[in-house]
Amino acid sequence: MATDQLSTTYAALSDPTRRAILARLADGDATVNQLAEPFPMSVQAVSKHIKVLERAGLVARGRDAQLRPSRLEAAALEEAAGWLDGYRRFWEDSFDRLGDHLAKGCDG
Amino acid sequence: MAERREIAMTREYDAPREEVWAAWTEPARLATWWGKRGWHVDPATVEMDVRPGGRFALTSEDARGNRMPQSAVYREVVAPERLVIDEPAADNWHGGAVTTVTFTDLGDGRTRMEFRASIATTEEMAQTAAGGVADTLDRLGEHLTTTEHTEEQSA
Repeated sequence: MATDQLSTTYAALSDPTRRAILARLADGDATVNQLAEPFPMSVQAVSKHIKVLERAGLVARGRDAQLRPSRLEAAALEEAAGWLDGYRRFWEDSFDRLGDHLAKGCDG
Repeated sequence: MAERREIAMTREYDAPREEVWAAWTEPARLATWWGKRGWHVDPATVEMDVRPGGRFALTSEDARGNRMPQSAVYREVVAPERLVIDEPAADNWHGGAVTTVTFTDLGDGRTRMEFRASIATTEEMAQTAAGGVADTLDRLGEHLTTTEHTEEQSA
């Protein structure tokens, strides 16, 4: 696993505005203006947040020079989210299965 | 910057402590429960030298043939009470972890298993986790999972 890239990703995710932007993009692509709408900050400030997300590989931007719509890069986010929860989920599943295994052993 | 993050889980099993210990330390038994649902372990891939410094390795496989090797070293082996397993980052799908599993005989044929993992992470990752990012990520995770399932069904 590329730990450096993950660090960049998690640094990008550590800001609530950027997380809100990602949540918005999960519902569909959006332009900077659309993304800036719900926030009490300038379009420029939101644009900076988008650049951070872009560098982290979480967001990609379209080629349309005027609109430059942003799109969620699902794979990068999935890797980041997967890292947080994946380890716990691995063991939770395993321990459930261990319970099944032990129950069978005792019956037999 | 490397930091450690703790994850703790406790389970109680309706089985004697020796049974739970055997499930952790006998290759054929471990292979029946190890891993996420949807994955299975070929017992032939399991290597277990259950003593301090001994090697613990196996390979899991899912229905689509994706293989996930894991490799670790036993740090402490106190039968049937305690196992400490060191999983270095280089040999695993995660960033490295030290896991401690403690088995307590509850005296009525049941066993309490306490699992504690100290996971290598970075400062940013730890802060993010502490900052309550979970809700947003959960929602996004649901979205991503839904997308993935849709793709699988249409495939």
